[in-house]
Amino acid sequence: MFKNTSYFWLALALIVVEIFILDQLSIAMWLRPMIFPLIIILLPMEWRTIWVLMVALVVGIVMDMSLGGAGLYTATLLPLAVVRSSVMYLTTRRGVEPGDQTPLLSRIAMRQMMIFVGAMLLIHHALFFSLEAMSVALLWQLVATIVMSTLLSLVIAWPIVRLFISKIVR
Amino acid sequence: MHRLIEFIKRIYVLVVFLLLEVAALWSYATSSSYTEAKILSRTTAIGGTISGTITDIGHFFSLPEKNRRLTARIAELSEELDSREAYILASGIDSTAMVMYDDSEQHFRYHPARVVSMTTNRKRNNIVLDRGAVDGISPDMGVITPDNELVGYVVSCSEHYAVVMPVLNIDFSTGGRIVENDHVCVIRWPGASRYEVEAVELSIYSEPKSGMEVEVRSERLPSGITVGTIEEYVLNNAKSAYSATIRIAANMATLDNVLIVENLHYGEIEELMRQVDNE
Repeated sequence: MFKNTSYFWLALALIVVEIFILDQLSIAMWLRPMIFPLIIILLPMEWRTIWVLMVALVVGIVMDMSLGGAGLYTATLLPLAVVRSSVMYLTTRRGVEPGDQTPLLSRIAMRQMMIFVGAMLLIHHALFFSLEAMSVALLWQLVATIVMSTLLSLVIAWPIVRLFISKIVR
Repeated sequence: MHRLIEFIKRIYVLVVFLLLEVAALWSYATSSSYTEAKILSRTTAIGGTISGTITDIGHFFSLPEKNRRLTARIAELSEELDSREAYILASGIDSTAMVMYDDSEQHFRYHPARVVSMTTNRKRNNIVLDRGAVDGISPDMGVITPDNELVGYVVSCSEHYAVVMPVLNIDFSTGGRIVENDHVCVIRWPGASRYEVEAVELSIYSEPKSGMEVEVRSERLPSGITVGTIEEYVLNNAKSAYSATIRIAANMATLDNVLIVENLHYGEIEELMRQVDNE
């Protein structure tokens, strides 16, 4: 119960930070950090995909309604829910086993965790900016936006990830 | 039933995901004119590629039919050649006969071409062919099907492509004649049915009847090019001329291979007409 409440507060905090701080930043056209995908990334890996999908749907709709995404946020968040387990296995070679006693996220080394979070953010940013641009006319600008924004998002998200895993998940 | 339930259980997450994703993408795609235009251009490009592939496959499977028609055409031409040779032989080494079949007397040259794209649902339809200026194509050349049916005439061309104004264009107009009695008329498209054109200014002495064949009578094309057959005809209010509805012979919806007809004397005729106009 405590953990579920923590997830709710984490989601709320990330959404608020995204809407009121990160979305208001105008550092550069190609530097647009987004950390709200952490809501999906940090959900317990033991959860069934359908529930993760439902959370992604709710978060996506909230973001679309708040930032006028008209479906863009939902469309780019839903795939994260589906590929989450596969990306976890590909980046850490770890998966949920039937006899596990502790949450998978708590058993992963921090370096592997960073690769996993980075990969998930990269997938989200690539989908988001590609769908937003809907064009490859300025391909290098698109690639730069994806890469630089992912790196900045990871830098901002990493302390949150560490704090959340050490204080809540473990 | 048990297996079906198991199967649904196995894939329902994927199905739910796909439904939600499509709904979100649809919402985003229709949210602004920019996204709509982008999606439309992408789907058109993809559709064009698929349509092109299907056309190529269709073209491959229609090869036997095309071969049959080509063979028939070869046979027809061989027969014509034989009869001309026979005529020359019969007349001995007659200089008149030789001149008659001399190459310099050939008026028309045929350029095979394929339809790249076309429209049939507008008032001003166009056809794009895969032959252009580098292939010797120029405006005012006639276009027919391999079965000698009228398609239209070339109105402009780039290096590699030509645009044809087909009979299904309200700006199209050409001369015609009823084969049975040689009465002339003007062929044009009123813009209604894609299967019918009309013949106007038919003499009251032409006595048109349903089923009569109408040919093109134009300097752009040789004789024997069919426009279609008369379906209906009416006398105008002044009772001075008939107008008739003609069922188009060429199937415009399935055009693929066509022949561009070049009148080698067209420039000469045009110059002559210009001189007459200036006088």
